[in-house]
Amino acid sequence: MGKIADKKRRILRGIFGGLSLTAVAFVFEACYGMPEDFGLDTRIEGVVKSKTTNEPIEGIKVSIEHEVDYYTLTDSNGQFVLFVPMEDRYEVKFEDVDSIQNGIFLPKDTTLIRDAYGELTLNVSLEDAQ
Amino acid sequence: MLNRLSQSIFNLFKANETRLHELSYLFWECTQRCNLKCRHCGSDCTANSAIRDMPFDDFLQAILPLKSAFFAKNITVAITGGEPLLRSDLAQCGKALRQNGFRWGIVTNGYAYTPEVHAQLLSAGMGAITLSLDGLHDTHNWLRANPHSFDNAVRALDLIASSKRLFYDVVTCVNHLNINELPLLKEFLISKNVKAWRLFTIAPIGRAKDNADLQLTPQELTQLMDFIANARTDKRIDTKFSCEAYVGKYERKVRDACFFCRAGINIASVLIDGSISACPNINRHFAQGNIKQDNFLDIWNSRFEVMRDRSWTKTGICAKCRDYRNCKGGAMHLWDEKQDAVMGCIHQKINDVAEKERWVKAE
Repeated sequence: MGKIADKKRRILRGIFGGLSLTAVAFVFEACYGMPEDFGLDTRIEGVVKSKTTNEPIEGIKVSIEHEVDYYTLTDSNGQFVLFVPMEDRYEVKFEDVDSIQNGIFLPKDTTLIRDAYGELTLNVSLEDAQ
Repeated sequence: MLNRLSQSIFNLFKANETRLHELSYLFWECTQRCNLKCRHCGSDCTANSAIRDMPFDDFLQAILPLKSAFFAKNITVAITGGEPLLRSDLAQCGKALRQNGFRWGIVTNGYAYTPEVHAQLLSAGMGAITLSLDGLHDTHNWLRANPHSFDNAVRALDLIASSKRLFYDVVTCVNHLNINELPLLKEFLISKNVKAWRLFTIAPIGRAKDNADLQLTPQELTQLMDFIANARTDKRIDTKFSCEAYVGKYERKVRDACFFCRAGINIASVLIDGSISACPNINRHFAQGNIKQDNFLDIWNSRFEVMRDRSWTKTGICAKCRDYRNCKGGAMHLWDEKQDAVMGCIHQKINDVAEKERWVKAE
């Protein structure tokens, strides 16, 4: 009963909102709040390991080519999660930025094509620089 | 005539939304610490709040049950304070919210918003932000009681306005001192590529209660409405009045939609002590439960009656108001625990000015 009533109310929402000439009635920001987020983004996650030892590497910078505001570092398990604006493809860069801490590894660039779900997994192995 | 019909249909829309009460906006008061001591602060925050920040996991565990009733992607979490940027784990909190499907954003004074912070928050999935800017250099610094606050806020503004991903706006609390500066401030914002600007008055709550000179006079309120109505014809920037109050004849002129206080209807909050309420600036007497002992979803579904049935607000000056059906007692934050009179009515003040002008003309 409740679900049917709610379905009816959702239909009425569209009708009343449209007829009141305020299509924006569906979009709001609370007083003292920020606008709602309707943006599309993609989650890229994965693990970075050493090609030589197969051990996870901490402190690798994961970034996107031409997007200076989007980057993250791998954690102690070599894992990273990065949210980026939705694009069809990404040039993902992996760089060792912590000098000799956690070893020294060569950088790597990878091209990633987005799937329909907006979530991407990218596991990579970096070559030891020594 | 068309406006009256449209307002009547909008009232039906509001009644329907109230019955449906789908949660889509959730405040999290993550800290009461603040790096500024603004003269108009509605929550009376200080640098050294005695109340400790809420552990993120307490908040996350409380809101996860919401996913059984709503699509998490349809809920935006507004992380607020205090100043949310004072939490060193802010990006981790946001990332965890996003990983659980919720969208999130912050309301900030911009003081600590550096390029590094900007990148951290964007990479953690932040999709919306509101920045406070209350005037040009001297005026903003006076209200914020800090000589560097304007420069820091503008640094934040440059970063925010450069982002393609962010939904954002700038908010200005209009007061006695900055009202005549608004045209200049508008041009300044346009020069900074700002696309959306929201203007508030200052409610007599928190620290603002003790600064009576921050309140606009009835004439200044009318001046503000005329300014916004006029600014809305300028397509370079989307200027609007906030949803803080019903404004009678200006309703359609100063906002996209008519006034609708959605507190407890689409908006909830988890406050610093775990209280479950609506907007954080609402009197804490109206808290509906606490995440320490209650299930958030149960509280949302079964309580909030005081916000969903506002018939009790037909008291004091609201009792005889001809526009009550459109306003329903105004915004919830303008009511205190006595629930016997609204703290202020912009609509009445605007009407008083119009009435006075009619008298002068008649004489």
